[in-house]
Amino acid sequence: MVRVTSNPSGFEKHIAKDPKSVFTLTSYALVLATYMNLNTIKSAGLGIALFILYFSINGVFLAYAFFGNEGRFLRLIFGVLLTIMLLGFVGWLVMVIYNLDVPEFSFVLFIVSTFCSLMNKRLKDKNAA
Amino acid sequence: MPHKESGIRLLRIGEILFLALTALSFYLLFISRSGEAHTVWEVLHPAFIPAIFASASLLVMILLTSEETAYKLLFVIILSILLHSFFPIVFPAGDLSGQQSILGRIRLVFDNTVLHGLTGWPNRNIQVFIYQLFMGANLQAALSVILARMLCLDIFYVHLFFIPVLWGTFVPVAAFLVTKAIGGSERASALSGLLISAFPYTTYFGAISVPNSLGFIFFFYSLCFMLRYLSSNESKNVQWMLVFSFFSFMSHYLTGIMSFSLLLLTTAVKRYQSEKKSALANARILLIVSFIISVSLLPLSFIYLRVLGTSIMPAFTLDKIGELSIQEIASLSLFGELAYSSNPRIIFLNIVGPLLALLWMLYLLFRLRRKPSAGFQTQVYFLFAVFLTVLIDYWILKLFMEGLPINEERLWVFRDFIAVPFIGLAAYAACASLEGLSKQKLKGIELANLERPFRSYKLRFSSLLLASNVLIPVLLGGWVTFSLSAAYPQVAPLQTTWYELEAVKYIERVTQVKYVVIGDQWTTYAGQVIVGESNPRAYYFGVSDKIGHELFVNMSRDPSSRWMLSAMNQTDTQVAYFVITEPRLGTDAFNTIVASIPPPLQLFYKSENGKLCVYSYADSNQT
Repeated sequence: MVRVTSNPSGFEKHIAKDPKSVFTLTSYALVLATYMNLNTIKSAGLGIALFILYFSINGVFLAYAFFGNEGRFLRLIFGVLLTIMLLGFVGWLVMVIYNLDVPEFSFVLFIVSTFCSLMNKRLKDKNAA
Repeated sequence: MPHKESGIRLLRIGEILFLALTALSFYLLFISRSGEAHTVWEVLHPAFIPAIFASASLLVMILLTSEETAYKLLFVIILSILLHSFFPIVFPAGDLSGQQSILGRIRLVFDNTVLHGLTGWPNRNIQVFIYQLFMGANLQAALSVILARMLCLDIFYVHLFFIPVLWGTFVPVAAFLVTKAIGGSERASALSGLLISAFPYTTYFGAISVPNSLGFIFFFYSLCFMLRYLSSNESKNVQWMLVFSFFSFMSHYLTGIMSFSLLLLTTAVKRYQSEKKSALANARILLIVSFIISVSLLPLSFIYLRVLGTSIMPAFTLDKIGELSIQEIASLSLFGELAYSSNPRIIFLNIVGPLLALLWMLYLLFRLRRKPSAGFQTQVYFLFAVFLTVLIDYWILKLFMEGLPINEERLWVFRDFIAVPFIGLAAYAACASLEGLSKQKLKGIELANLERPFRSYKLRFSSLLLASNVLIPVLLGGWVTFSLSAAYPQVAPLQTTWYELEAVKYIERVTQVKYVVIGDQWTTYAGQVIVGESNPRAYYFGVSDKIGHELFVNMSRDPSSRWMLSAMNQTDTQVAYFVITEPRLGTDAFNTIVASIPPPLQLFYKSENGKLCVYSYADSNQT
């Protein structure tokens, strides 16, 4: 495996461990905040902040689930890429079934968050076993 | 120890300088932004290219140090995003090309003007429907709309920066991974990440937001996992090469089919590896057959489009080759459309990378042949086979097929993806050998003990050391910078201007009823990026719509309300607008039309600079 850096960051590991599903719940809260931002606040600044947080949490979930052996930087890159792919795929599916208006879009985010969290938990347990 | 510390300090200074120069380049690019330009070269700040050159050269120097690879890749990503963002930063609506039409279609999804994606529910046959679902624009539409909603930005901005940012971030990393997979060191691999920007075709495709570009990104990752699969038996490599191939297919037909043909080749090579000891002849036959199938998959897949019942009618033909001379066939086979270019610099910049890569690939193959036990032999052979596959496919599409839905030149991007790891390896080998040579020669020579003639000898080797640390970075940085002149067009029509966008926005803001706009194709481009393509509420005829074109020609020759009425009747709208632009029509034609506008048509909008006029007509019976 390619190791770009070997030292895992403490916070990254903390997110991946997801104690008491805190980060899964945070991810859901971010989905809610994004929904509210789109409907009421309509702030691009807030949108960018929520976007970064959402990708950080779910990217780390996926990165640890599937690319735990890679170095930190590559893990981050793969995590973000997988989150983008997953958002694209679920979004594509929802769009083809109906459309991608704000509620459907929020539903996509929710599905992706759930998937990322489940994958993280499942593969983390598997790796631990 | 102090020597090491001073080295680290020097490295940090270099990194800060690189970041400062890149920030300056971004700033210079932003201040080059123009509302009325043909090419980026027309308006670029004079200090921009020197800043990019210094920045790229400095980055090569950093890449050749022992800095952590994560930082190196981060720096490469920053520069790569800059190199791919010329269009969205300089032009008000990005490059005037298919990417604007794609934005026009995606906007329909963003504004909920259409349901069920860009395909709609099946109204013809189910095969066509399924084919269209996977046609690529749908995946990009979904992704762009999701990102735009997450960021709470208009789809316009998200779309323009969508591919430049994704490409700038993920393609250098893929180049790094592919180079690692064929045995490259961390430094050589990081160098590949930067040198991918020295290939004009890849730079151009990374600068426009079209589904094909998205497909190329996923293709590159699928290739990376194929190489990993060849060197290990981990099942997850199979899983990831399949996943990335699937996404490559969902993004674009061309990249998807290429990924699948390489999947077949990978499986065959893997099988050959395991069977060559027990049944060499069979393994070889299987490998050759697989190679032939891989090569034929792309041309044949175009023929299958006819079977699906699409309106595209590709076919094999001997007519094209019959009309060409031997010389033309040879130059087309080697250079593609570049054979018709009159600019030798552009030709050189496009072929120098692949040519050097091919030479290095052949050198590696020759060396590996003498050392069959050497590692990464299979991967190098595999990439050579992929290189050949791309070339043969290009020849088939270019010389033996007609009616293709894509331009064959896009295949060069695959070739460049294969070439870049070898360029990285070659550049690093050149640098390492120069450095090694100078160190070896200097070893044990004390300046004080030398006679005068030997001092000059030592100086010569010091200059060799300097060459490896300065000359090579300057050469590679210069190559990356110089390649930009071939990547971004030197000649182009006037890009969408600020006043065209303003006019379109004004019409959209002020009009409360359904309307149609009669304008030239340039107005259509501007219109569709703001209101979407063929939006029934705000209708712009498609860029290649004959009816729209005829209406505009008729209005230009004989401005009259009857054409406006005809447009309204055909599109079921209540107001019609006629847009004319002076730089597009020419001053005389523009003035003639303005002077001959009849009274029922009213001047609705005139741009601040007077270069654009919009006339409106509302049917009193309908309104």
